Amino acid sequence: MLPRRAAVLALLVLLATLATGEARAQAIQNATLRRANQAYDNLDYRQALSLGRAALRERLTGAERARAYEVLGFSYAALDSILKAVDAFKQVVLIDPERQLDPNRVSPKAYSAFDVALRQVLLVRQLRVDSTSFVGGKGALPVRFTVTQPARVVTRAIGAGGGGGGGQANFLVDSGAWNGQVNLSWSARLPNGDPVPAGMYTLVVDARLGQNSFTASQPVRVTHGSVDTLPHLASLPGYQYLPETEIPAPSWRPLGLAFLYTGGALIGTVGLESGSLGAGSKRELGVVGGAALLTGFIMTLRKPAPRPAEGNILYNRLLKEQIARRNTDIAKENVTRRQQVQLSIVPLSKSGAPR
Amino acid sequence: MSRRAGRGVGCAAVVLGALAVAGRPAGAQHVTIGPQAALVDYREVSSGLRYSGSGFGAIATARYRKLSAAASVVRLSLDPTKGSTASVGYKATEFDLWLGYDVASYASLEVGVIRRTADPEFEAQSLGAVRVGGRSTYDLGPGATIAFRADYLAAPKFSGGGSASFSLDLGLGLDLVVAGRLHGVVDYTFERVNRKTNPGGTGEIPTPIQQSLARVGLTIGF
Repeated sequence: MLPRRAAVLALLVLLATLATGEARAQAIQNATLRRANQAYDNLDYRQALSLGRAALRERLTGAERARAYEVLGFSYAALDSILKAVDAFKQVVLIDPERQLDPNRVSPKAYSAFDVALRQVLLVRQLRVDSTSFVGGKGALPVRFTVTQPARVVTRAIGAGGGGGGGQANFLVDSGAWNGQVNLSWSARLPNGDPVPAGMYTLVVDARLGQNSFTASQPVRVTHGSVDTLPHLASLPGYQYLPETEIPAPSWRPLGLAFLYTGGALIGTVGLESGSLGAGSKRELGVVGGAALLTGFIMTLRKPAPRPAEGNILYNRLLKEQIARRNTDIAKENVTRRQQVQLSIVPLSKSGAPR
Repeated sequence: MSRRAGRGVGCAAVVLGALAVAGRPAGAQHVTIGPQAALVDYREVSSGLRYSGSGFGAIATARYRKLSAAASVVRLSLDPTKGSTASVGYKATEFDLWLGYDVASYASLEVGVIRRTADPEFEAQSLGAVRVGGRSTYDLGPGATIAFRADYLAAPKFSGGGSASFSLDLGLGLDLVVAGRLHGVVDYTFERVNRKTNPGGTGEIPTPIQQSLARVGLTIGF
């Protein structure tokens, strides 16, 4: 079972390889170069070298020329002519600086020769700018690129106009000695701190090493917008107002209080009665005391009145104060935000359309 | 329409107006006023001289923050009770005033006056004194308040002369919201005055006075 599965897998890999070679061959118009490609695919490196050199003497497009040198580089690397392979790959990257080799798909010899070639030529590669949006003065546009040799690198943003001088706007982003991966940021601000005017800009990275120089560019579009204001808060997430009254549990307290007060009046009356005057009529106390006891009994049976819940009242007061404080802060923040500009920067393809 | 019939219509209009006001929802009622009926038991000098009776009057109360005030006037008709040595009754008018200041949610200090006059003048002692004391008030439930008060009657004056070194006035009161602005008010006052006289300079003779007074009324809050 296993050998059968391995055979199927090998067949699929072969088909994929053939399909890739076929597609590449179809993209190449020059017949000699196509034959050189075919020879390389057939592992006939000497024939590939011969045909590749012949193709370079013919009229080729840039991509075809790069491919021809690439065939030469791969073939020289396969034949252990590393120096010649490096020379061929130098030509490749000079024609197509963004050319990358996949280390998983090319031989280590060819990959190392390509890597050596890269480090022997001054290039600015992989200039990348991400779409971003920030409040003017509070953010920056990240810019990254790779310089293949130690060099003095000057990065500028050049606009179509409105840079303050009336002519072409030219903002220095960075100037320094760099090698390898470089990460910069452009604050998109004028010297006086204001945001740059909206419009089209080109980020230009200029690397110089002695007499050698290389320039890469990336167009971007800067637009202005208003900064979103913050909504006022009506509540704090996770915090809710609590009821400010609570109904106490039913109790005999009203009747007890009525007994207490009526008993106090009765005891006071009996105690204060004069012996010489005799025991007085209790009719009056009976009327009032009876009414008090009856009221106490009714109040005991009735649902108690809601009473203020002091803890909840304090909590709600604190919550209101906190919300008011937050809204005051938001109001201040909104005043500031209304005076700010939201900058949106979008990288464009070389033709001008967003990438 | 006769004059009597017209007076009846006027009284009915007043009652209807009062009920209409009373039926409105209760708000922050700081002033109440209304009529009241009274029952009274009065004794003087000895157990043989005793009267009882009833009467009508009015009461008004007011409250502002910690200050409270109450005034009551009742006109009483007293008759000798069975076994009394008195032969005829008399009429009395009693005016009471209390002014209170809350020192706690359930306690207040109070001062006031009492003024009671008898008609005919010498059928019973007329009395005037200053009240000084305290009051305890507690809510029994929604709209029901019970109160107990004890006042010392200072500087009493009597129409028949004499003095009283010890005079006390105890009270039990109940205020109940009956409906909306309408309150039911009942009040009990027991008054004991240790009056002494010195007729002809022969020595002091105790002539105490004791009165129980119950007042029941309805008031309207404003």
